[in-house]
Amino acid sequence: MCPMPIVHLAKKVKELKSGQVLELLADDVGAKEDVPAWCSRTGHQLVGNEEEGKLLKFYIRIK
Amino acid sequence: MADKLCMVVSEGTFDKAYMPLIMGTTAAAMGSEVHVFYTFFGTGLLKKVAKPKLPGMFRLFTGMFSKRMKKVGIPGHDEMMQQAMDMGVNFYACSTTMGLMGIKEGDLKPGVKVLGAAAFLKLAGEAKTTLFIG
Repeated sequence: MCPMPIVHLAKKVKELKSGQVLELLADDVGAKEDVPAWCSRTGHQLVGNEEEGKLLKFYIRIK
Repeated sequence: MADKLCMVVSEGTFDKAYMPLIMGTTAAAMGSEVHVFYTFFGTGLLKKVAKPKLPGMFRLFTGMFSKRMKKVGIPGHDEMMQQAMDMGVNFYACSTTMGLMGIKEGDLKPGVKVLGAAAFLKLAGEAKTTLFIG
């Protein structure tokens, strides 16, 4: 549920090292636009995304 | 320097209570510095326990609505405000309206600062975006 995917993402990213790839699973349709927006704002790289029914998957490489 | 987002909250109903928390938490997650200034009927939301009601006639359905929010996974108001604080969102109570609404500094949630209009306007002047929620 918006804005939780972004909030969890921002918290998790702090624990990771540069170059690591994080897989984010979200069931909030807003995440489709929110995650790319968050990436462009924070400078982390969105390397891929998939849709499995209602589940959205994002792969983000930490800067 | 990080972008700054300022918000003014002048109403204490459910919708006006959640909006700045969702926006503020998201902005903080995006790396922005966030300042939320509560004034008039919004000030009560900063009390240690705040239970905002739906606006107008709908206030009667607040309990039902809260249960639905819980089911969908949206945290309660105070829990969400604490989460925002943990993310670095700054919350301010308007010093003038505190007196008007009968709210004392000791009634406020820990971490809430009391601020005058001039000090908030200084912050807003430096911000890229200022939203008014009322």
